Amino acid sequence: MNSESALIGGFCRLYSFLLHAYPGDFRRQYGRPMEQLFRDRCRDLARSPGRLTLLRFAVHMMADWFSTTVREGAAAVWSAGRSPAKRSSVTEWAVTILIYLFATTTLVQAYVVPTGSMEGNLLVGDHILVDRMAFADPGPLGRHILPYREVERGDIVAFLYPEDTRQTYVKRIIGLPGDRIRLQNRQVIRNGRRLVEPYTQHIAAYPDPYRDDFPLAPGASTTPRGRDMFEHHVWNGEVVVPPGMLFALGDNRDNSADSRYWGFVPRAYVVGKPLLVYWSFDAPTEDLLDWNLAHVIDVAEHFPTRTRWKRTFLVPRSQPAKEVGGTR
Amino acid sequence: MKKKPPPQELLPLTPPVFHILLALAGEERHGYGIMQDVAQQTEGALQLGPGTLYGCLKRMLAAGLVEESDERPDPTLDDERRRYYRVTALGGRIVRAEAQRLAGAVTVAMSRLAGGNA
Repeated sequence: MNSESALIGGFCRLYSFLLHAYPGDFRRQYGRPMEQLFRDRCRDLARSPGRLTLLRFAVHMMADWFSTTVREGAAAVWSAGRSPAKRSSVTEWAVTILIYLFATTTLVQAYVVPTGSMEGNLLVGDHILVDRMAFADPGPLGRHILPYREVERGDIVAFLYPEDTRQTYVKRIIGLPGDRIRLQNRQVIRNGRRLVEPYTQHIAAYPDPYRDDFPLAPGASTTPRGRDMFEHHVWNGEVVVPPGMLFALGDNRDNSADSRYWGFVPRAYVVGKPLLVYWSFDAPTEDLLDWNLAHVIDVAEHFPTRTRWKRTFLVPRSQPAKEVGGTR
Repeated sequence: MKKKPPPQELLPLTPPVFHILLALAGEERHGYGIMQDVAQQTEGALQLGPGTLYGCLKRMLAAGLVEESDERPDPTLDDERRRYYRVTALGGRIVRAEAQRLAGAVTVAMSRLAGGNA
Protein backbone atom coordinates (compact mmCIF):
# COMPACT_ATOMS: atom_id res chain seq x y z
CA MET A 1 0.00 0.00 0.00
CA ASN A 2 2.78 2.32 0.96
CA SER A 3 4.76 1.77 -2.20
CA GLU A 4 1.49 2.07 -4.11
CA SER A 5 0.77 5.54 -2.75
CA ALA A 6 4.38 6.57 -3.31
CA LEU A 7 3.88 5.47 -6.87
CA ILE A 8 0.71 7.52 -7.20
CA GLY A 9 2.50 10.55 -5.78
CA GLY A 10 5.16 9.98 -8.41
CA PHE A 11 2.55 9.70 -11.13
CA CYS A 12 0.98 13.02 -10.11
CA ARG A 13 4.38 14.74 -10.06
CA LEU A 14 5.19 13.38 -13.47
CA TYR A 15 1.82 14.43 -14.85
CA SER A 16 2.25 17.99 -13.61
CA PHE A 17 5.61 17.99 -15.32
CA LEU A 18 4.24 16.53 -18.54
CA LEU A 19 1.61 19.26 -18.73
CA HIS A 20 4.39 21.57 -19.89
CA ALA A 21 4.24 19.88 -23.27
CA TYR A 22 0.86 21.54 -23.87
CA PRO A 23 0.77 25.04 -25.36
CA GLY A 24 0.94 27.76 -22.69
CA ASP A 25 -2.58 29.07 -23.28
CA PHE A 26 -4.12 25.64 -22.98
CA ARG A 27 -2.08 24.84 -19.89
CA ARG A 28 -3.03 28.05 -18.13
CA GLN A 29 -6.67 27.49 -18.96
CA TYR A 30 -7.01 23.79 -18.17
CA GLY A 31 -3.81 22.70 -16.40
CA ARG A 32 -5.26 22.80 -12.89
CA PRO A 33 -8.50 20.92 -13.62
CA MET A 34 -6.48 18.37 -15.59
CA GLU A 35 -4.27 17.77 -12.57
CA GLN A 36 -7.39 17.42 -10.44
CA LEU A 37 -8.89 14.91 -12.84
CA PHE A 38 -5.66 12.97 -12.94
CA ARG A 39 -5.50 12.81 -9.15
CA ASP A 40 -9.13 11.67 -8.99
CA ARG A 41 -8.35 8.88 -11.43
CA CYS A 42 -5.37 7.88 -9.30
CA ARG A 43 -7.57 7.68 -6.22
CA ASP A 44 -9.97 5.43 -8.10
CA LEU A 45 -7.01 3.31 -8.99
CA ALA A 46 -5.84 3.03 -5.41
CA ARG A 47 -9.20 1.51 -4.54
CA SER A 48 -8.85 -1.22 -7.14
CA PRO A 49 -5.14 -2.02 -7.15
CA GLY A 50 -3.36 -4.53 -9.31
CA ARG A 51 -0.36 -4.34 -11.58
CA LEU A 52 -2.43 -4.78 -14.71
CA THR A 53 -4.88 -1.98 -13.91
CA LEU A 54 -1.89 0.20 -13.15
CA LEU A 55 -0.19 -0.64 -16.40
CA ARG A 56 -3.36 -0.11 -18.41
CA PHE A 57 -3.89 3.22 -16.68
CA ALA A 58 -0.32 4.33 -17.39
CA VAL A 59 -0.59 3.35 -21.04
CA HIS A 60 -3.94 5.10 -21.37
CA MET A 61 -2.62 8.31 -19.80
CA MET A 62 0.50 8.33 -21.96
CA ALA A 63 -1.61 7.81 -25.08
CA ASP A 64 -3.98 10.58 -24.03
CA TRP A 65 -1.06 12.89 -23.27
CA PHE A 66 0.76 12.15 -26.50
CA SER A 67 -2.21 12.52 -28.83
CA THR A 68 -3.61 15.63 -27.19
CA THR A 69 -0.27 17.48 -26.87
CA VAL A 70 0.13 16.92 -30.58
CA ARG A 71 -3.40 18.09 -31.28
CA GLU A 72 -3.32 21.15 -29.05
CA GLY A 73 0.19 22.03 -30.19
CA ALA A 74 -0.90 21.92 -33.81
CA ALA A 75 -4.03 23.93 -32.96
CA ALA A 76 -1.90 26.60 -31.28
CA VAL A 77 0.49 26.80 -34.23
CA TRP A 78 -2.48 27.14 -36.54
CA SER A 79 -4.34 29.79 -34.65
CA ALA A 80 -1.08 31.73 -34.29
CA GLY A 81 -0.66 31.57 -38.06
CA ARG A 82 -4.26 32.79 -38.47
CA SER A 83 -4.30 31.48 -41.95
CA PRO A 84 -7.85 30.96 -43.10
CA ALA A 85 -6.73 28.44 -45.71
CA LYS A 86 -6.88 24.86 -44.51
CA ARG A 87 -3.56 23.09 -44.48
CA SER A 88 -3.30 19.40 -45.07
CA SER A 89 -2.92 17.07 -42.17
CA VAL A 90 0.38 15.93 -43.68
CA THR A 91 2.03 19.29 -43.00
CA GLU A 92 0.36 19.32 -39.60
CA TRP A 93 2.01 16.03 -38.72
CA ALA A 94 5.33 16.99 -40.24
CA VAL A 95 5.50 20.05 -37.98
CA THR A 96 4.64 18.00 -34.94
CA ILE A 97 7.15 15.27 -35.65
CA LEU A 98 9.84 17.88 -36.24
CA ILE A 99 9.02 19.45 -32.90
CA TYR A 100 9.27 16.08 -31.14
CA LEU A 101 12.54 15.21 -32.86
CA PHE A 102 13.96 18.59 -31.97
CA ALA A 103 12.80 18.24 -28.39
CA THR A 104 14.21 14.78 -27.85
CA THR A 105 17.60 15.52 -29.34
CA THR A 106 18.29 19.02 -28.11
CA LEU A 107 16.19 19.50 -25.00
CA VAL A 108 16.50 16.23 -23.15
CA GLN A 109 18.62 13.15 -23.41
CA ALA A 110 18.04 9.74 -21.91
CA TYR A 111 20.93 8.33 -19.93
CA VAL A 112 21.44 5.32 -17.72
CA VAL A 113 23.57 5.32 -14.57
CA PRO A 114 26.06 2.47 -15.05
CA THR A 115 28.10 2.65 -11.84
CA GLY A 116 27.53 3.26 -8.16
CA SER A 117 29.69 6.35 -7.88
CA MET A 118 26.72 8.58 -7.02
CA GLU A 119 25.07 5.98 -4.81
CA GLY A 120 22.95 7.54 -2.13
CA ASN A 121 21.40 9.74 -4.81
CA LEU A 122 21.56 7.77 -8.03
CA LEU A 123 21.64 3.99 -8.14
CA VAL A 124 23.04 1.64 -10.75
CA GLY A 125 20.23 1.09 -13.25
CA ASP A 126 18.53 4.46 -12.79
CA HIS A 127 17.37 5.61 -16.21
CA ILE A 128 17.35 9.38 -16.16
CA LEU A 129 16.43 12.25 -18.44
CA VAL A 130 19.09 14.92 -18.73
CA ASP A 131 18.01 18.51 -19.30
CA ARG A 132 20.40 19.64 -22.00
CA MET A 133 19.24 23.25 -21.93
CA ALA A 134 20.05 23.93 -18.29
CA PHE A 135 23.71 24.78 -18.71
CA ALA A 136 23.91 25.22 -22.47
CA ASP A 137 24.99 28.70 -23.47
CA PRO A 138 22.06 29.95 -25.55
CA GLY A 139 23.94 32.91 -27.01
CA PRO A 140 23.34 36.62 -26.43
CA LEU A 141 19.69 36.57 -27.57
CA GLY A 142 18.52 33.30 -26.02
CA ARG A 143 20.04 34.28 -22.70
CA HIS A 144 17.04 36.52 -22.07
CA ILE A 145 14.46 33.94 -23.11
CA LEU A 146 15.69 30.55 -21.94
CA PRO A 147 16.04 29.30 -18.38
CA TYR A 148 19.81 29.21 -18.44
CA ARG A 149 22.21 29.43 -15.54
CA GLU A 150 25.87 28.83 -14.84
CA VAL A 151 27.05 25.63 -13.18
CA GLU A 152 27.22 26.09 -9.43
CA ARG A 153 28.96 24.26 -6.63
CA GLY A 154 26.79 21.38 -5.44
CA ASP A 155 25.07 20.86 -8.80
CA ILE A 156 24.71 17.31 -10.02
CA VAL A 157 25.86 17.45 -13.61
CA ALA A 158 26.04 15.06 -16.56
CA PHE A 159 29.14 15.53 -18.69
CA LEU A 160 31.31 13.78 -21.26
CA TYR A 161 34.09 11.80 -19.62
CA PRO A 162 37.20 13.81 -20.62
CA GLU A 163 39.35 10.71 -21.23
CA ASP A 164 36.75 9.11 -23.49
CA THR A 165 34.02 11.42 -24.74
CA ARG A 166 31.84 8.53 -25.88
CA GLN A 167 30.93 8.00 -22.25
CA THR A 168 28.71 10.23 -20.15
CA TYR A 169 29.36 10.57 -16.43
CA VAL A 170 27.21 12.03 -13.69
CA LYS A 171 28.99 13.62 -10.70
CA ARG A 172 28.62 16.50 -8.30
CA ILE A 173 30.46 19.76 -8.96
CA ILE A 174 32.73 20.59 -6.04
CA GLY A 175 35.06 23.22 -7.48
CA LEU A 176 34.64 26.12 -9.89
CA PRO A 177 37.52 27.94 -11.63
CA GLY A 178 39.81 29.51 -9.04
CA ASP A 179 38.71 27.25 -6.18
CA ARG A 180 41.42 25.59 -4.09
CA ILE A 181 40.52 22.00 -3.27
CA ARG A 182 42.03 19.33 -1.06
CA LEU A 183 40.80 16.40 0.98
CA GLN A 184 41.80 15.75 4.55
CA ASN A 185 40.78 12.47 6.08
CA ARG A 186 37.99 12.07 3.49
CA GLN A 187 36.64 15.58 4.00
CA VAL A 188 36.74 18.18 1.28
CA ILE A 189 38.39 21.47 2.16
CA ARG A 190 37.56 24.17 -0.34
CA ASN A 191 39.35 27.51 -0.17
CA GLY A 192 40.38 26.67 3.38
CA ARG A 193 36.86 25.89 4.59
CA ARG A 194 35.70 22.41 5.45
CA LEU A 195 32.58 21.23 3.60
CA VAL A 196 29.75 19.53 5.39
CA GLU A 197 28.27 17.25 2.75
CA PRO A 198 25.17 15.41 3.93
CA TYR A 199 24.73 13.72 0.56
CA THR A 200 28.00 11.76 0.60
CA GLN A 201 28.44 8.14 1.48
CA HIS A 202 31.60 6.50 2.81
CA ILE A 203 31.84 2.73 2.59
CA ALA A 204 35.53 1.85 2.62
CA ALA A 205 36.85 0.30 5.80
CA TYR A 206 40.50 0.84 4.93
CA PRO A 207 42.21 4.18 4.44
CA ASP A 208 43.73 5.15 1.12
CA PRO A 209 45.91 8.24 1.36
CA TYR A 210 45.59 9.01 -2.33
CA ARG A 211 41.81 8.97 -2.15
CA ASP A 212 41.28 10.36 1.34
CA ASP A 213 44.01 13.00 1.57
CA PHE A 214 44.08 14.12 -2.04
CA PRO A 215 46.33 15.53 -3.49
CA LEU A 216 49.07 14.86 -0.92
CA ALA A 217 50.03 11.41 -2.17
CA PRO A 218 50.40 11.54 -5.95
CA GLY A 219 51.56 8.58 -7.97
CA ALA A 220 48.51 6.42 -8.24
CA SER A 221 46.85 8.73 -10.74
CA THR A 222 46.06 6.62 -13.73
CA THR A 223 45.24 8.87 -16.66
CA PRO A 224 47.23 11.45 -18.65
CA ARG A 225 44.84 14.22 -17.64
CA GLY A 226 45.17 13.22 -14.02
CA ARG A 227 48.96 13.40 -14.25
CA ASP A 228 48.68 16.80 -15.95
CA MET A 229 46.61 18.04 -13.02
CA PHE A 230 49.28 16.94 -10.55
CA GLU A 231 52.09 18.44 -12.59
CA HIS A 232 50.58 21.84 -13.32
CA HIS A 233 47.74 22.63 -10.96
CA VAL A 234 48.85 21.65 -7.47
CA TRP A 235 50.04 24.52 -5.30
CA ASN A 236 50.88 24.18 -1.61
CA GLY A 237 49.16 20.83 -1.34
CA GLU A 238 45.94 22.04 -2.97
CA VAL A 239 44.53 21.62 -6.43
CA VAL A 240 43.64 24.96 -8.02
CA VAL A 241 40.87 24.71 -10.61
CA PRO A 242 42.02 26.47 -13.81
CA PRO A 243 39.77 28.76 -15.88
CA GLY A 244 37.13 26.99 -17.95
CA MET A 245 37.40 23.83 -15.86
CA LEU A 246 35.35 22.16 -13.11
CA PHE A 247 36.27 19.79 -10.31
CA ALA A 248 33.77 16.95 -9.87
CA LEU A 249 33.45 14.24 -7.23
CA GLY A 250 31.06 11.30 -6.83
CA ASP A 251 28.78 11.19 -3.79
CA ASN A 252 29.87 7.63 -3.09
CA ARG A 253 33.19 9.17 -2.17
CA ASP A 254 35.20 6.01 -1.43
CA ASN A 255 34.20 4.24 -4.62
CA SER A 256 34.16 6.87 -7.30
CA ALA A 257 36.45 7.45 -10.24
CA ASP A 258 36.28 11.23 -10.37
CA SER A 259 38.39 14.37 -10.75
CA ARG A 260 40.82 13.00 -8.19
CA TYR A 261 41.82 10.34 -10.68
CA TRP A 262 41.31 11.82 -14.13
CA GLY A 263 41.56 15.55 -13.64
CA PHE A 264 39.25 18.43 -14.42
CA VAL A 265 36.05 18.50 -16.47
CA PRO A 266 36.19 21.13 -19.22
CA ARG A 267 33.13 23.41 -18.95
CA ALA A 268 32.40 22.72 -22.62
CA TYR A 269 31.96 18.99 -21.87
CA VAL A 270 28.97 19.59 -19.59
CA VAL A 271 25.89 17.96 -21.15
CA GLY A 272 23.22 19.07 -18.72
CA LYS A 273 21.38 18.55 -15.49
CA PRO A 274 19.70 15.26 -14.51
CA LEU A 275 15.99 16.01 -14.58
CA LEU A 276 14.25 12.95 -13.29
CA VAL A 277 14.51 9.19 -12.99
CA TYR A 278 11.95 7.78 -15.41
CA TRP A 279 12.73 4.13 -14.77
CA SER A 280 14.94 2.39 -12.30
CA PHE A 281 15.82 -1.22 -12.97
CA ASP A 282 18.12 -3.36 -10.88
CA ALA A 283 20.65 -4.73 -13.37
CA PRO A 284 24.43 -5.29 -13.57
CA THR A 285 26.65 -2.56 -14.97
CA GLU A 286 27.77 -4.41 -18.11
CA ASP A 287 24.18 -5.05 -19.21
CA LEU A 288 23.27 -1.39 -18.81
CA LEU A 289 26.19 -0.19 -20.91
CA ASP A 290 25.69 -2.71 -23.64
CA TRP A 291 22.22 -4.09 -24.24
CA ASN A 292 22.33 -7.76 -25.14
CA LEU A 293 19.72 -10.43 -25.75
CA ALA A 294 20.07 -11.88 -22.26
CA HIS A 295 19.38 -8.46 -20.79
CA VAL A 296 16.29 -7.96 -22.94
CA ILE A 297 14.91 -11.29 -21.73
CA ASP A 298 15.91 -10.42 -18.18
CA VAL A 299 13.98 -7.13 -18.37
CA ALA A 300 10.95 -8.81 -19.91
CA GLU A 301 10.86 -11.44 -17.20
CA HIS A 302 11.54 -9.29 -14.19
CA PHE A 303 10.13 -5.90 -15.19
CA PRO A 304 7.56 -5.67 -12.35
CA THR A 305 9.72 -7.14 -9.60
CA ARG A 306 13.12 -5.62 -10.29
CA THR A 307 11.86 -2.19 -11.30
CA ARG A 308 12.41 0.03 -8.28
CA TRP A 309 8.94 1.58 -8.32
CA LYS A 310 9.69 3.97 -5.49
CA ARG A 311 12.40 5.64 -7.52
CA THR A 312 10.20 6.22 -10.54
CA PHE A 313 9.93 9.93 -11.36
CA LEU A 314 12.33 10.86 -8.59
CA VAL A 315 14.05 14.20 -9.08
CA PRO A 316 17.77 14.28 -8.15
CA ARG A 317 18.41 17.46 -6.24
CA SER A 318 21.38 19.74 -6.38
CA GLN A 319 22.45 20.63 -2.91
CA PRO A 320 25.11 23.11 -1.90
CA ALA A 321 27.40 21.93 0.88
CA LYS A 322 27.63 23.95 4.07
CA GLU A 323 31.03 25.48 4.69
CA VAL A 324 32.52 25.64 8.16
CA GLY A 325 35.73 27.13 9.49
CA GLY A 326 37.47 30.42 8.75
CA THR A 327 39.12 31.25 5.45
CA ARG A 328 42.83 30.99 5.18
CA MET B 1 -17.35 29.77 -35.81
CA LYS B 2 -18.62 32.72 -33.81
CA LYS B 3 -21.72 33.23 -35.90
CA LYS B 4 -24.16 30.45 -35.05
CA PRO B 5 -23.27 27.59 -37.36
CA PRO B 6 -26.26 25.61 -38.62
CA PRO B 7 -26.53 22.41 -36.56
CA GLN B 8 -26.00 20.13 -39.55
CA GLU B 9 -22.52 21.51 -40.09
CA LEU B 10 -21.35 20.21 -36.74
CA LEU B 11 -22.61 16.69 -37.42
CA PRO B 12 -21.55 13.97 -37.10
CA LEU B 13 -20.16 14.49 -33.62
CA THR B 14 -17.09 12.59 -32.49
CA PRO B 15 -17.88 9.98 -29.81
CA PRO B 16 -16.25 11.97 -26.96
CA VAL B 17 -18.20 15.13 -27.85
CA PHE B 18 -21.48 13.21 -28.17
CA HIS B 19 -21.08 11.48 -24.83
CA ILE B 20 -19.94 14.66 -23.07
CA LEU B 21 -23.11 16.40 -24.28
CA LEU B 22 -25.18 13.46 -23.04
CA ALA B 23 -23.42 13.59 -19.68
CA LEU B 24 -24.32 17.27 -19.34
CA ALA B 25 -27.89 16.84 -20.63
CA GLY B 26 -29.29 16.05 -17.20
CA GLU B 27 -27.24 18.26 -14.94
CA GLU B 28 -24.16 20.45 -14.55
CA ARG B 29 -21.01 18.45 -13.93
CA HIS B 30 -17.30 19.04 -13.36
CA GLY B 31 -14.58 17.32 -15.37
CA TYR B 32 -14.30 14.23 -13.21
CA GLY B 33 -18.09 13.92 -13.07
CA ILE B 34 -18.27 14.03 -16.87
CA MET B 35 -15.56 11.41 -17.14
CA GLN B 36 -17.34 9.07 -14.73
CA ASP B 37 -20.70 9.53 -16.43
CA VAL B 38 -19.26 8.88 -19.89
CA ALA B 39 -17.62 5.70 -18.62
CA GLN B 40 -20.99 4.65 -17.20
CA GLN B 41 -22.90 5.48 -20.40
CA THR B 42 -20.54 3.38 -22.48
CA GLU B 43 -20.06 0.63 -19.88
CA GLY B 44 -16.41 1.51 -19.51
CA ALA B 45 -15.64 1.44 -23.23
CA LEU B 46 -14.89 5.17 -23.41
CA GLN B 47 -12.54 6.41 -20.71
CA LEU B 48 -11.75 10.07 -21.32
CA GLY B 49 -8.21 11.10 -20.42
CA PRO B 50 -7.61 14.63 -19.11
CA GLY B 51 -6.20 15.90 -22.40
CA THR B 52 -9.05 14.49 -24.48
CA LEU B 53 -11.72 15.76 -22.10
CA TYR B 54 -10.45 19.31 -21.76
CA GLY B 55 -9.46 19.50 -25.43
CA CYS B 56 -13.06 18.64 -26.34
CA LEU B 57 -14.48 21.06 -23.79
CA LYS B 58 -12.29 23.83 -25.19
CA ARG B 59 -13.62 23.27 -28.72
CA MET B 60 -17.19 22.83 -27.48
CA LEU B 61 -16.96 26.12 -25.58
CA ALA B 62 -15.68 27.83 -28.73
CA ALA B 63 -18.52 26.36 -30.78
CA GLY B 64 -21.06 27.38 -28.13
CA LEU B 65 -22.25 23.87 -27.32
CA VAL B 66 -21.44 24.14 -23.61
CA GLU B 67 -20.73 26.94 -21.19
CA GLU B 68 -18.94 27.23 -17.91
CA SER B 69 -21.28 27.57 -14.99
CA ASP B 70 -19.14 28.41 -11.96
CA GLU B 71 -16.38 27.11 -9.76
CA ARG B 72 -17.38 25.38 -6.56
CA PRO B 73 -16.37 22.41 -4.46
CA ASP B 74 -18.04 19.05 -5.01
CA PRO B 75 -19.98 18.06 -1.87
CA THR B 76 -19.07 14.37 -2.20
CA LEU B 77 -15.37 14.75 -3.08
CA ASP B 78 -12.72 16.87 -1.35
CA ASP B 79 -13.27 20.59 -0.73
CA GLU B 80 -11.23 21.69 -3.71
CA ARG B 81 -12.99 24.07 -6.07
CA ARG B 82 -13.93 22.53 -9.41
CA ARG B 83 -15.09 24.12 -12.64
CA TYR B 84 -18.64 23.09 -13.62
CA TYR B 85 -20.03 22.93 -17.15
CA ARG B 86 -23.56 22.94 -18.52
CA VAL B 87 -25.03 22.43 -21.96
CA THR B 88 -26.34 25.41 -23.98
CA ALA B 89 -29.55 25.57 -26.02
CA LEU B 90 -27.50 25.03 -29.17
CA GLY B 91 -25.72 22.08 -27.56
CA GLY B 92 -29.09 20.57 -26.68
CA ARG B 93 -30.31 20.88 -30.26
CA ILE B 94 -27.09 19.43 -31.64
CA VAL B 95 -27.09 16.38 -29.41
CA ARG B 96 -30.75 15.72 -30.28
CA ALA B 97 -29.97 16.01 -33.99
CA GLU B 98 -27.04 13.64 -33.60
CA ALA B 99 -29.17 11.13 -31.70
CA GLN B 100 -31.75 11.26 -34.51
CA ARG B 101 -29.05 10.78 -37.12
CA LEU B 102 -27.73 7.76 -35.24
CA ALA B 103 -31.24 6.37 -34.75
CA GLY B 104 -31.81 6.66 -38.50
CA ALA B 105 -28.55 4.86 -39.18
CA VAL B 106 -29.44 2.14 -36.68
CA THR B 107 -32.86 1.62 -38.30
CA VAL B 108 -31.28 1.19 -41.72
CA ALA B 109 -28.64 -1.13 -40.30
CA MET B 110 -31.21 -3.29 -38.49
CA SER B 111 -33.37 -3.76 -41.54
CA ARG B 112 -30.45 -4.52 -43.86
CA LEU B 113 -28.68 -6.86 -41.48
CA ALA B 114 -31.88 -8.66 -40.46
CA GLY B 115 -32.61 -9.25 -44.16
CA GLY B 116 -29.07 -10.45 -44.85
CA ASN B 117 -28.86 -12.81 -41.91
CA ALA B 118 -32.29 -14.39 -42.11
